[in-house]
Amino acid sequence: MSKETKERNVELIEKSKEVVRETFKKYELAKCAITWTGGKDSTTNLWIVRQVCVEENIPLPQVITIDEGDAFPEITDFLVTISKKWHIDLKWLCNFDMLKCCQSHLGNDIQVKDLDERNQAELKRIEFEFKSFPFEAESYAGNHLMKTVVLNKFLEQSKTELLFMALRRDEQAARKEDEYFTHHEAGYLMPEHTRVSPILHFTERDIWDNTHLHNLPYCPLYKIGYRSLGARSSSNPGVVSVPAWEQDLENVPERAGRRQDKEKAMERLRKLGYM
Amino acid sequence: MLTIDTLRKDVLGCYGNKNNLTPFLDSLQPKCIKFTNAQSTGPYTQASFPGILTSSYYLEYGRQKKCSPKRTLVSEVLKKSGITTAAFHSNPYLCGYFGWNRGWDIFYDSMQDEVSDKIPYIKGDGINHKVDQWLSSYSKNNNYSPFFLWTHYMDVHEPYIPTREYLNKVDPSINLSEDEMLNLFKEVILKRDVSDKKTVKLLKKLYDAGVRETDNYVKEFFKILEKYGVLKDSVVIITNDHGDEFDEHNGLSHDGKMYSELISSPLIIYFNDRTQGKTCDNLVSNIDISPTILYLFGLEPLGAFKGHSFLPLEKYPQKGVFGEAINKTSNQEKETDKPIYFYQENDLKIIYREADQSWEMYNLNEDPQELNNLINISDKSKDMKKKIMSQIKQITI
Repeated sequence: MSKETKERNVELIEKSKEVVRETFKKYELAKCAITWTGGKDSTTNLWIVRQVCVEENIPLPQVITIDEGDAFPEITDFLVTISKKWHIDLKWLCNFDMLKCCQSHLGNDIQVKDLDERNQAELKRIEFEFKSFPFEAESYAGNHLMKTVVLNKFLEQSKTELLFMALRRDEQAARKEDEYFTHHEAGYLMPEHTRVSPILHFTERDIWDNTHLHNLPYCPLYKIGYRSLGARSSSNPGVVSVPAWEQDLENVPERAGRRQDKEKAMERLRKLGYM
Repeated sequence: MLTIDTLRKDVLGCYGNKNNLTPFLDSLQPKCIKFTNAQSTGPYTQASFPGILTSSYYLEYGRQKKCSPKRTLVSEVLKKSGITTAAFHSNPYLCGYFGWNRGWDIFYDSMQDEVSDKIPYIKGDGINHKVDQWLSSYSKNNNYSPFFLWTHYMDVHEPYIPTREYLNKVDPSINLSEDEMLNLFKEVILKRDVSDKKTVKLLKKLYDAGVRETDNYVKEFFKILEKYGVLKDSVVIITNDHGDEFDEHNGLSHDGKMYSELISSPLIIYFNDRTQGKTCDNLVSNIDISPTILYLFGLEPLGAFKGHSFLPLEKYPQKGVFGEAINKTSNQEKETDKPIYFYQENDLKIIYREADQSWEMYNLNEDPQELNNLINISDKSKDMKKKIMSQIKQITI
């Protein structure tokens, strides 16, 4: 690895650590939580926060992961293995009620009337009127229950005020002006809280350089071509069998293959006369 | 490979059209093998492209909207063999999100670029520009490896809003604004309203102008290949994914129907060193395209591919062709829509619709317009029913 890359890496990490230290100055440890998907970004993020905790001699805040019901088994394995290795008491969040209603089977229909009170109320909140919906990554209702509601419940029950996220500016054009700290007002969908993204200034290339430089663990799916890992049914590999870091990161969009493209594609398809 | 979305076979001069809509494509004929009996595997993009790029049928892996990871794309096979693979297109159904970006060294699906409000795709000149950019840098290296370049044009597809220059070439008397053309799209095409025959004729003229415009983009494409010195070492396969209906069977656009206006494909293979055009009457399917590409690169046939290389022509096995799609009957596919299938052998084509378990059979030689349903009269019906059912059983999971 070149001298420039190593020097850049030192700067990037130092900046991230500054953000983390600032966070710990402003928020009580017990009111912080770290989100971890098992992906390359959130693993890097977790690693940096851990370092600061060691340096400051403070315990690591609660680490949480959300099981949306459609995870790659490789990611689940990775989370289990690394949480053991790093001695992390990982909290798994999941909308079990919803999984029960579809027998955890992707594609199965969920009848709204079978869901528990909280879930039904949440569907009313998003003005969902149908009697059922399919359990799949693309389903808006399903997504709301499996992801948003689960996170909200956690925030409420744990009284968490600060969430560590692993967003990066270069992931979306719209993120160019993003700040490290974003405050979320109490909305009709979630309680008031703040989110901090310590690795905001890392690019996709920086993440991989950092991973290799410090020998960080990563999910084996990245080695066989996946650049971005979300729900299994909405993630596609970029170039099959070429490791993520060897692909054309600068010219081919990272998430070509994820839900972010879906809205755009749907809109164009509508204008082409479909749907 | 050059694929042109929604291009009907019968608009090409080399297939008999008298309106001079494709002068450039026609001019290529002395260097081409022209297939007169090529059929698509499906009447719309999602149903047809699995055939073209993966040599498999649309519903083989369930009713997925995406390209199943179980399919093998021709790009994946070529890439493994050290051939550079590049794709340039603007069809949202074939974008990275739907899983079609596998195996491509370069995959431009235009999702990262802005498109106009009325025309939701990058036009042929924009696509050509991307091809030009890529080839310009790729060919600078004198020892570049062989490449497979797939380019796809959307300019024939609805909403029919052709550029004025080409509308004038087709019918200068048509004086519609872009908004008026868009309105026709919304009020007539989307509603599949064939009640006014004059309007349908007008739509066909707009469509024809799109064809004329696309022919020019093809011309520019060949110029680019020539500019970078690659045309002389290239074979170019030109075809469509499906056609478009103009009230041949009481509808418009391209729904889940298996009639010739949607399924019959133009298929031309250009060889730079040919001096005499050739016509081939073999009944072939777009499922044979990927195997042909492997053959042209000197690669072994792939077991996962269902088709068979067209080339060499004499070795092509005589067999029936099959296709399947979801029988959507409006512009919106509903969850309750069921499959529709076709099977063709020689001149006979049988169609089966699962929704009402109905059958149709046509003799394409005597009844090319597919108006006389022979299913209850022909003594070949029983045999054809057996054959299509065996295809369906083989394929559906």
